[in-house]
Amino acid sequence: MPLHKLWVLAFRDLGRNRRRTLLTMTAVALGLALLMVMNSFIAGIMEDSLQNSIKLRTGHLQLRAPSYSEDERSLQWGDLLLDPENLIAQAATLDEVKAATPVLWANGILATVNESAGLQVYGIDPDSPVYDPIRTALVNGSFITPDDRSGILIGERLATMLGLQVGSKVSLTIVDSEGQADEAIFSIVGMFATGIPTYDESAVLMPLTKAQGLTNTNRRVSAVVLLLNDQQATSEVVAAFRSSGLQVLTWQDLNQFFIQTMQTGMAFYVLLDIIVMLIVAVIIANTLLMSVFERIREMGILSALGMKGRHLMQMMLLEAASLSLAGIAIGLGLGLAAVAYLATAGIDFGSSVASSGGDAIALGSTIYARFVPDVYVGLSLATLLITLVAALYPAWYAARLEPVAALREA
Amino acid sequence: MASAVQLEHVSKRYRIGTVETIALDKVDLTIAEGEFTALVGPSGSGKTTLLQLIGCLDKPDEGTVRLQGQDITRFSANQRADLRRSRIGFIFQFFALIPVLTAYENVELPLLLSGVKPAERRTRVHALLKAVGLEDRARHRPDQLSGGQQQRVAIARALGPQPLLVLADEPTANLDTANGQQAMEIMQKLNQDTGTAFIFATHDPRVINYARRVVTLTDGRVIEDSALAEHAV
Repeated sequence: MPLHKLWVLAFRDLGRNRRRTLLTMTAVALGLALLMVMNSFIAGIMEDSLQNSIKLRTGHLQLRAPSYSEDERSLQWGDLLLDPENLIAQAATLDEVKAATPVLWANGILATVNESAGLQVYGIDPDSPVYDPIRTALVNGSFITPDDRSGILIGERLATMLGLQVGSKVSLTIVDSEGQADEAIFSIVGMFATGIPTYDESAVLMPLTKAQGLTNTNRRVSAVVLLLNDQQATSEVVAAFRSSGLQVLTWQDLNQFFIQTMQTGMAFYVLLDIIVMLIVAVIIANTLLMSVFERIREMGILSALGMKGRHLMQMMLLEAASLSLAGIAIGLGLGLAAVAYLATAGIDFGSSVASSGGDAIALGSTIYARFVPDVYVGLSLATLLITLVAALYPAWYAARLEPVAALREA
Repeated sequence: MASAVQLEHVSKRYRIGTVETIALDKVDLTIAEGEFTALVGPSGSGKTTLLQLIGCLDKPDEGTVRLQGQDITRFSANQRADLRRSRIGFIFQFFALIPVLTAYENVELPLLLSGVKPAERRTRVHALLKAVGLEDRARHRPDQLSGGQQQRVAIARALGPQPLLVLADEPTANLDTANGQQAMEIMQKLNQDTGTAFIFATHDPRVINYARRVVTLTDGRVIEDSALAEHAV
């Protein structure tokens, strides 16, 4: 029997109990749409957090002295890079590099009359385009300048926590390169709100020269941070600095904790995917099995007319495929619409959720879904496959019906 | 005339729980090509079982079934399906049309299963629907047809593959007198026109009147086999 005729038969069979068919299609559609939204959010969290981290903290590449340890944030001279201008000049010759800038990191305590907070001090070159994201996130005051001797930038959230405003004076204490605690008074010249609570609550930015003076590091820096024009070109730039004798750390190295955490989390999400798909499979199997039971007499008639078991099996599988494809089409429509909305509007999970990942995960308060077409194709194919697998038992049941027994059922 | 179907010492038993029932007991029967035969007998006499064995829907426990001389007793399920598709037509008491297909498509179905080419399919289906007087109902689905019309579609469907024989199980049981008579007249005419043998199981004395041969079964045995003169309706 020609396949297209079997398909017509299968398709019309689905119209017999329209309500049941519609409910089953809805289950497939909602299952797929739910998985699309979930996976789009996961992709959004992963990609946004990673890009936030690259943009605000790590850059695409960092060059550090061989002995520098990020965990210790050492300010000892031997752990720092002296006169990084050569490295910056070398980076500037590479087409892949968008910007390169020196940075000095230190741990500090910011104190007001009533409050204090531990935080991370960034000594930066305020003119570097690496800090454009902070510049655009400025919500109050102005950006620091290279010759600013007492001006600092802090996050709006930190300012709110400590009750500070632009112009407020604060005391900043840093343990310098010799292990001495140095305190200085600074004036807040501006506030930023990047949308990343962990950054906005813990980062203090000041000109590099001021930070070097305060920490007694004398023209030394913790690292040179490189931003690339294309993230994919990382390995080419790494190759260019391989012989420098320095630590050359990529964005993958620098965000290792986050990437590993997300990869571990992915196993959980795959489990969720499987659970949703199994539920859809059970619904499809149930629908088709009911459909077979209701049509045992017809199966007997078709068998009496000479239809072979494999044709009956094909017919049931085509019914499952029709149900599944229709459900997938609706699900894709629903899912894409939902993702389109959530990619623009996002969902505000609040700062407590955003902060839950700690410093290592630069999660924004508002999480946006992200289109991941290859994932949608994979989910659609998996849905089709699992519904066909679920249909195997009803199809097999139909195929092995003895015509006499089936006609007797009538 | 050559034999269409031949049964030799055919027995069939059914077991329900621990009780075994003999549906057919060493039946010997030969049906010639082109016959118009009635199987009669009380309920439980084995008429339907006999039709199922002749129609390759079931296998006997003992004995041999031959179709045009070929022993089909031990045929596999697929071989029996091939035989049903190509050489046997069925008409059931409950009309047995596929509800989601139109009258045209129901008649076309066995032709599709047989791989008949589209042009020939169209010709045959139109001719058969015309023969049963339902050409104008071709696009109607079974629920849009009366019982009599549905049974006429079933007759057309049974004749589609130009079978060796058509088996009809109580074909008029669900029809009123006029429709029953019409169905029998159509079957009789098609039997004469096409040479297809018809075997129908029935209780209905009006149907028996159409038969040229009447085989009477009781308790799974053939107790009478009589050829009749040309009937008078």
